[in-house]
Amino acid sequence: MKCFQTAAPKPSQSKVLLVMKLTMLMMLFFTLNVAANGFGQDRISMRVKKTEISGVLRSIEEQTNYRFLYNNDLEDIHEKVSLNVKDAGISDVMNLLLGRTNLLYQLMNDNLIVIKEDPNAPVEVVVRGKVTGEGGTPLLGASVQVKGTTTGTSTNVEGNFSLTVADANVTLVISSVGYDVQEVALAGKTEVNVSLVLSTKVMDQVVVIGYGTASKRDLTGSIVKVSGKEVADKPNTNPISSLQGKVAGLSVVNNGTPGAQPDIRIRGTVSIGQVHPLYVVDGIFNDNIDYLNPNDIESIEILKDPSSLAIFGVKGATGVIAITTKRAKAGQVTVNLNTSYGFKKLVDKIKMANADEFKILFDEERINNGFTDPYDYSGLDANTDWIDAVTQTGNFSANNLSVSGSSERNRFNFGLGYTFDEGIIRHEKLERLTVSLGDELKINKFIKLGINLNASRQDNPYDAIGISSGFNVLDAARKVIPLISPGTKNFYVKNPYGTDSLNMDIYSALDVGLQAAGVINPLVKLENEWDKTVNREYRTVGNVYVEVNFLKYFTFRPTWYADVSNLNKRVYTPLYYSYDPRTLVPSLESQKTSVVEDDKTWRKFQQDYILTFKRNFGDHGVTATAGFTTFYFGNFNRTGRSSQAGGPTALPIPDDERFWYITNGFQDPSATSANSDQSEYSTVSYLARALYNYKNKYFLNASFRDDASSRLPEVNRHQQFWAIGAAWDISKEDFMQSQQIFDFLKLKGSVGVLGNQTASRLDGTPLNYPFYPNLNTGSNAVFGTNVYTAADPEYIPNPDLKWETVEAWEVGVELNAFQNRLHFEANYYNRTTNDLMTYVDRSALGLKNKLVNGGSLRNWGEEFSATWRQDFDRDLRLDIAGNITFMDNEVLSLSEDIPTGVLSRGFFNNASAESRTVPGMPIGSFFGYVVEGIYQSYAEILASPIASSIGAYAPGDFKFKDINGPDGKGPDGKITTDDETFIGNPTPDFMYGVSLSLTYKGFNLSVDGNGVYGNEIFRTWGSLESPFQRVNYSGDKINRWHGPGTSNWVPIVSQEHRFNYNGSTYNIEDGSYFRIRNIQLGYNFDRNLVSKWKIRDLRLFVNVQNAKTWKNNYGYTAEYGGDATAFGYDNAGGAIPMTTTFGLNVTF
Amino acid sequence: MKLNQRIFWGLIIIIPLLFSGLGCKKFLDRKPLTATLDDLNQGALEGTVLNLYNILRGWGGFSSLPWVDFHSIRDDDAQKGSDASDGREINTEFETFQYTKDDWAPNTYWNDHFLMINTANNAIYSAQSSNLTDEASLRNVGEACFFMAYAYFELVKTYGDVPLINFPILKPTDAIQPKSPASRIYEFIDSNLQVATQYLPLTTLDYGNAYPGRLTKGAANSLWAQTYLFRQDWARVIALCNEVISSSQYSLAPEFSDIWREGLQGAGKNGPESIWEMNADVGQNAVSNSAVYNGTQWGTCQQVRRNGAPIEWNLGWGWNTPTDKLVNAWPDDDPRKAKTILYSGQFDGGPALGGHGATLPAYTNPDGTGGLAQKYWNKKLYTGNDPEMRNFTGFVNNNGDAGWINHRILRYADVILMLAEAANESGDGATAAANLELIRNRASGNLGPSRTIVPVIPFQDQGQMRTAIKNERRWEFAMEGYRFYDLVRWGDAISELSSLGYTNRCRFYPIPQQAITLSGGVLEQNPEWQ
Repeated sequence: MKCFQTAAPKPSQSKVLLVMKLTMLMMLFFTLNVAANGFGQDRISMRVKKTEISGVLRSIEEQTNYRFLYNNDLEDIHEKVSLNVKDAGISDVMNLLLGRTNLLYQLMNDNLIVIKEDPNAPVEVVVRGKVTGEGGTPLLGASVQVKGTTTGTSTNVEGNFSLTVADANVTLVISSVGYDVQEVALAGKTEVNVSLVLSTKVMDQVVVIGYGTASKRDLTGSIVKVSGKEVADKPNTNPISSLQGKVAGLSVVNNGTPGAQPDIRIRGTVSIGQVHPLYVVDGIFNDNIDYLNPNDIESIEILKDPSSLAIFGVKGATGVIAITTKRAKAGQVTVNLNTSYGFKKLVDKIKMANADEFKILFDEERINNGFTDPYDYSGLDANTDWIDAVTQTGNFSANNLSVSGSSERNRFNFGLGYTFDEGIIRHEKLERLTVSLGDELKINKFIKLGINLNASRQDNPYDAIGISSGFNVLDAARKVIPLISPGTKNFYVKNPYGTDSLNMDIYSALDVGLQAAGVINPLVKLENEWDKTVNREYRTVGNVYVEVNFLKYFTFRPTWYADVSNLNKRVYTPLYYSYDPRTLVPSLESQKTSVVEDDKTWRKFQQDYILTFKRNFGDHGVTATAGFTTFYFGNFNRTGRSSQAGGPTALPIPDDERFWYITNGFQDPSATSANSDQSEYSTVSYLARALYNYKNKYFLNASFRDDASSRLPEVNRHQQFWAIGAAWDISKEDFMQSQQIFDFLKLKGSVGVLGNQTASRLDGTPLNYPFYPNLNTGSNAVFGTNVYTAADPEYIPNPDLKWETVEAWEVGVELNAFQNRLHFEANYYNRTTNDLMTYVDRSALGLKNKLVNGGSLRNWGEEFSATWRQDFDRDLRLDIAGNITFMDNEVLSLSEDIPTGVLSRGFFNNASAESRTVPGMPIGSFFGYVVEGIYQSYAEILASPIASSIGAYAPGDFKFKDINGPDGKGPDGKITTDDETFIGNPTPDFMYGVSLSLTYKGFNLSVDGNGVYGNEIFRTWGSLESPFQRVNYSGDKINRWHGPGTSNWVPIVSQEHRFNYNGSTYNIEDGSYFRIRNIQLGYNFDRNLVSKWKIRDLRLFVNVQNAKTWKNNYGYTAEYGGDATAFGYDNAGGAIPMTTTFGLNVTF
Repeated sequence: MKLNQRIFWGLIIIIPLLFSGLGCKKFLDRKPLTATLDDLNQGALEGTVLNLYNILRGWGGFSSLPWVDFHSIRDDDAQKGSDASDGREINTEFETFQYTKDDWAPNTYWNDHFLMINTANNAIYSAQSSNLTDEASLRNVGEACFFMAYAYFELVKTYGDVPLINFPILKPTDAIQPKSPASRIYEFIDSNLQVATQYLPLTTLDYGNAYPGRLTKGAANSLWAQTYLFRQDWARVIALCNEVISSSQYSLAPEFSDIWREGLQGAGKNGPESIWEMNADVGQNAVSNSAVYNGTQWGTCQQVRRNGAPIEWNLGWGWNTPTDKLVNAWPDDDPRKAKTILYSGQFDGGPALGGHGATLPAYTNPDGTGGLAQKYWNKKLYTGNDPEMRNFTGFVNNNGDAGWINHRILRYADVILMLAEAANESGDGATAAANLELIRNRASGNLGPSRTIVPVIPFQDQGQMRTAIKNERRWEFAMEGYRFYDLVRWGDAISELSSLGYTNRCRFYPIPQQAITLSGGVLEQNPEWQ
């Protein structure tokens, strides 16, 4: 810039000035060109700083022949200006000098220049004001614009603005993201304070977009925001559970264990490895949010589309759930108390045979297997419902206290939570104490410093579903035959810990002749061991940030995050008796006391350096972000164990929590051991994003990220991800102004490439060093009593390993209509995953597994969601919301290293329960035979295609359908393995949610429902249990085949008929269901009434979760999660209770 | 403001640059925090070879039920055992010869043998590619070649034609190979045993003091003799057996029961008669200390099953038990009978007969309600069930398990009887009779030529001697897993086993369907089982 002129800046006129500078510059170039033809010959060069115009004029007079005539009383002649011109003509200089004033000049003869006031000049006014938002918070960056012009400014950190307007009668348009636009007619005023109202319109919401926030209006993608209120009063310790059915494209498969993570997938199953989304809590990347108190959540955003996800790079492909925790609001001190109490009940219990039915079926089975003598049931005379015996009515209680307050410089919030959550299995209980703390300190106008901390202490429930012990109580219970008593008997026995004898109540063992292997009386273990475990988890997650605003439009925000957590689990195995139900002889279940201590520590460190530029240039609005971030994850786990068998000289480890440590003074030194496992990974990333809009009508979003990860070999270490999105707000177009239907109508689309760092084993366990296979532990060579470590790598490494990428695009429409009563959103999405990272199991060739890249997978579908809000009158309001997602999934190809193109996951009896991932079919499709019926007689067998290549069979066995031969050309008259086919798809055709909310005066009734349609469930219990185990018959077996014509579906009861242990359509059930997920009735007391008790708000509510489920399968529930390539299996677990809670919410 | 600007612009630029320029590579270069194969350097060959011993001990196809199913339960003298409901499908698959193409036991058997083959290939390849020619490395190569031959010999006996994998699998698709004829497999076995006999040491002491039971030249020669016995190449059998005998490394244990003794700290393992054993070790208090458990299921799967008996009889799973046919056919005056068959409801004979001084609970019924589910049990394994060892390891009552018992895979008695058989077949009746007598005399308790029990059998003619040798193998190796393959080899399977359902095609088991499927059809089913 050769020529730079600034008028002495008045405070906060910067915006106008910058516009002026540009105008000036353009003017200057223009005038320079014509200078030769201008009047006067003298060229002027001068440089002055903050000098009165009159002074400048004097200098010109000294330099040139020009003379000036003006009245020294003119106010504007004393304005201070800065001027830097070189070789300029007089008119240019005059324009520069007077351009901002109300003065006109006229060049007379004789180089006389007369300066006078413009009689027509409008009287410029400086308008000052303050813009505040919800609760009186000053709003930074709110736009203040003169209606119908491009003149405008934005507010500073204190929400203040100052704007010079042409006259005091213009109208100002004030807007800020997340708030309704407000127009203020000045009507002569020069001081306006505006309080904006939070927008209730979806498109005006402020949403978290990763490394920043934006108005939903400015975005081209699909982000759904769920308010923290939606999850706060629901009886789930894991907040994600409460999102079921709320968001199109988000699949939540819940389970009934307190605190357990649901199976979450966003827009389908995009990988063979990791499928769960990335969680981003106040900026920190996490695998789960188990530690968060639902009451501390301000909002949850679900990011689904490429333009929102590309900024997350290698972690973006599976979608993102971003959680913002609560912050203090400006204004007075608020104290909020939230408490609820309730109980849980097992519903939809599975049906098992009772004592009489068991005897009928077992006697028949013995005859079927050629036994002639009847089974001796002496001593087995109970009739026990084992599921009742191990379940309870659980209690639930959540209590939260929060305090927040703010002053000019400081905002502070504090939260305290205590949750008590019992499961439906006896003694299953979770307790959690959470503390959250946030503070933001304004150091000066430009710098803010903040800290956030979430800490929790959680006592995990007894492992009743067998995550680490393999002891699944519900599964064990349904296996026990009903003839065993669930009660105790009193025996006089030797004290296992002492030298005396005493009376003890002892549970029954099983009938060892019948149920020895793999089946136990769950009560014996549960009742003796449930309180012998200490399983305590401490999590500390927090961040510190500095936010610097500089050069008006820039914000620089470095943030340092940490998640340092620890889990200490100590399991003590006591000495206890069980008695033989036939001989009534008690015996010790084990001779040995032991302690196993697990210490898991994990550390996550993340640092973000984010620079944001935000500015409106006239019709152009730009928000640009650039950043640098690193992430580190390390976990360090140790397990130690010690035991003591007792004996003549040694004492067992006492049943006293004091001694439940590895070194407890009682342990046998030869029986003490320790081992550890540990791993780390890290990423380094650069990111950039630009959000652009033209006249708030046309939108363009672009983002880019470069990720480098320690998980990959150096050659493939860097990978780039990007997305571009565009949107068009049609409702802003002129031709839309005349219509009355649409208040808002936006078309949008985006395309991009996302990443998935899904190095994992087939069951989803992550591999932090995929390139370096671990050596299997416990692979030892033995020579005599000498033991040597053998080298046995876990799998074959792949030197060319690289990340999976997901090519994704979506198009959609968002609209508001009928005076904003209707909001509607529809999207079509398509995501193709390439370079699937596959862990290939080749054990049938005697090979190690191998991690390969290859193949691709496509997920596509349509999402629709709508809300309708109807205000009938001041007292009565109805809100209806619904969403539906149609989803499709197809494997396009698989790695060449899989010669058959089949990735098979099998479970139970030689993998009879099989999921196949194969090109042309949905991922994890169930595979097996099609049951046509039951062979009623030998005559029917003779008349049917021969099936002997599968195994021996007889009347009463499944009649499988002849589908194909070895040539793949249809039925070949033989039943062979060629006749296995795809018999089910675990992915639903569509899933949906509805909610209805009715508000009348202080009352509010809301009902939420959700469901899925069109998927299949593979039931493994009641058919594919190990034939080595005797388990109780499932209830439907009473309708079994037991002679010609008795059944054409349930086969003969016989563990020896292995033919029926092939996976088939007999195991396949319809997975469609609809559930009333929540019914809530609340009452808000009249504010005037409660204010007498110094209470601002008081609300009482009752909530019923899982009130009723309509389903078509035998299991406890229709919801079964799993991993990427094997899900939807009903293994007789997953019971989801009905929970009724009563709550109270008080704000002081 | 100016200063702020400079500081923060500086930060923006410097911090990422610092990271990318200096710290970034270091921050991103991460290796596992435990050893990988690369970290073992020259130890990798030794480590890979040691893994072959680990596979032998730990994997089902060698030392658990699948091995027992294929080798022992299939014959007429042994049966599944256990109780009526446990593993009923094994009755069908292995006792009544309705072989299946897809079940746990046969699938495991196939997979584990190829695992051993692929691991051996990796070891040989790593020695070759690193050009390791020192003595210790060549010994490692000899061991790998032995395991290769061992696995292929088992496969060729079981399936006939099988795929030949004589190269390391670097890409999984490389493993998809069609079958090679059995003759080609035998050639490959020969070439491996050629190498093994060349590099393996004469005694385990050549490895150092701490390697009892590790592979020797004697093991390679004995295995090689077995392979020729199956090919009826009598001259080579005689030569190899003589080489083993003349090495003077082995002798018949004076007391038959002592072969199966298992005492504290390994006493009784790797005895004088042992040419090669799968070694297992279970340390003190291993029941609650997995760090000292290096056991195997070999002993556990064959110990007495408790069923309705008192809890102290929870010794194992009770598989592989004698049949009535064996008990009835075997003359009572052969002392080996009382040392091989354990009777329910009877005194176990005490230490003199390989017992421990206990009386077994009675047999009640096939369910074992109120007692035991089998009339007879495999006493050769019971001998290894030393009560002292149980207390030492802690595997008592509910924790019944017998993981410390070694599997005697090659013993000297087999070399003697192979020599006898080969000599007889090649017309040397005197040598045959002399070697047969070594075994019979030991069986009698070394009573000498004038004894009346297990008397001397003089050579009369080749047929008489052949019958005598066949009988001797039946008694000497009863329950040890020799008989099925002997019957097939002798051509006697039809006569002895057809009443159980055996037909000629049953000499070979069908190849598991999973392997055929995984090969995309390149691997074809045995034609008799298509």
